[in-house]
Amino acid sequence: MEYVSPEGLRLDGRRPMEMRQIRAEIGTVARADGSAVFEMGNTKVIAAVYGPREVQNRSQQISDQALVRCEYSMANFSTGDRRRKPKGDRRSTEISLVIRQTMEACILTHLMPRSQIDIFVQVLQADGGTRSACINAATLALADAGIPMRDIVTSCSAGYLNSTPLLDLNYIEDSAGGPDVTVGILPKLDKVTLLQMDAKLPLDIFENVMGLATEGCKAVANYIREVLLENTKQLEYRRGL
Amino acid sequence: MGLSNASGDLSTEVEVDAFRRLFPLRFYEKHLSESIRPDARPLGRARDTTIALGAVASANGSALAKIGSTTMLAAIKMEVMTPSTETPDEGCIAIDFHMPPICSPIVRPGRPAEAAPVVSKQLSDTILSSGMISLKELCLVSGKAAWMAYMDVYCLDADGALFDTALLSAVAAFSHLEIPVVSLNDDGKIVLLSEEQEGMSEREPVNKEKRKLTLCNIPFSLTCILHKNYILADPTAEEESIMETLVTIVLDSSSQLVSLYKPGGPVLAYTSAIQDCIAITRQRVKELQTILEEAISGMEVD
Repeated sequence: MEYVSPEGLRLDGRRPMEMRQIRAEIGTVARADGSAVFEMGNTKVIAAVYGPREVQNRSQQISDQALVRCEYSMANFSTGDRRRKPKGDRRSTEISLVIRQTMEACILTHLMPRSQIDIFVQVLQADGGTRSACINAATLALADAGIPMRDIVTSCSAGYLNSTPLLDLNYIEDSAGGPDVTVGILPKLDKVTLLQMDAKLPLDIFENVMGLATEGCKAVANYIREVLLENTKQLEYRRGL
Repeated sequence: MGLSNASGDLSTEVEVDAFRRLFPLRFYEKHLSESIRPDARPLGRARDTTIALGAVASANGSALAKIGSTTMLAAIKMEVMTPSTETPDEGCIAIDFHMPPICSPIVRPGRPAEAAPVVSKQLSDTILSSGMISLKELCLVSGKAAWMAYMDVYCLDADGALFDTALLSAVAAFSHLEIPVVSLNDDGKIVLLSEEQEGMSEREPVNKEKRKLTLCNIPFSLTCILHKNYILADPTAEEESIMETLVTIVLDSSSQLVSLYKPGGPVLAYTSAIQDCIAITRQRVKELQTILEEAISGMEVD
């Protein structure tokens, strides 16, 4: 099957280096300390952060830093066929672990000892790139909750099909069997916190594809900063400053 | 509101917040004696309600309903199944209600919220017993194939009146539902026809066009809290946790009583109180009907 046409257009009409349309909104869940909705094309994810709050399980309390927990779950209607087991299956557990470790790297946990920060991510629509959308949403939710972080974490995926590096794969491109590289970076510090890849890829092409994904992450970071700045302006306006 | 200070003096604000946390019942009673609630609503008024249809593009029918901050997302997915031998002409509806941990600080991952199975059962019973949908409409080929409609309602923000919002989103999702076009292939199995195949297929489609369900007697509900001799309509989560006696009344669009639910609680109500609740619900049902009709006609214009 042809994923990139001879004119250089992908299945959904994008160019190989083009990301899908991103949209983010902060403060959607009123009861949560911080929340955000993040959309990358048709993938729609909602993240809620509760914390820092008292540790629910005393035996897990850490005396010199905060405990970070994460749960990833997909709604039954999020994928094409209805899912029977939205969480607790291996993929969800793995992604929960990945998100937790990614966010834990950037939260200043030593400032909040003996407390717990819960990050809950719910996928409402899945069309490829759910891992990246979840990390981006979690970053926004943590910022909305006012939790101190070293830097924001942004994530994007890239692949290699029909000898072309492609940015931000959707579900059809992802299931094509080609390599799928997911990168998570701290943009200001220019450090990589998440790097996952499956399938085989020659090393020089891998550098290209990873570079492309990193560019995508930086573009997401710019957008997230704009959204946060706009949100702060709104808060200032409402406080009458 | 006797306790707020217009100049926004920080020390008085802290006192109000502390008073609200330490003596919640007295805080509320001070407001109720003036016939108002802390969010400035009169006792019988519900919060702002909005419905957005088609929130989930990949589902056959979906709706997002918000009453105040309480948000529910309902989506329906249709699958083909063989009907049971006792009812060969009828399809089936399965309704499931989920409270993921994002919705409330009280819900812990791994342990479902207390309210979730209760609302799930209530929702399922109300929709199936109200006769809103005739299961015969879900039949494809008598005895061989019928539709199974899986409805999942997800609570995205739990701020009181969970059942009301869940019912509203479920009803709105059913009104948005479009049954996909299918045809019988050579093995005698039903296949979904996608848009490209419609023109090219030589097979006769079993149902000609995407159609909507006819809904009659749509149920709407209102939850009220009884406290001493006050009746508060549409409680928030804070009010529900302090004053625990809830009464939920479900009326249908012709103002007939579908269900009445008062699961115990410290306040024992006289029949007159219940009748007052029913009167408030009747008003609310009219409001909800207008809101739903506006949402549906808004979609049709698109």
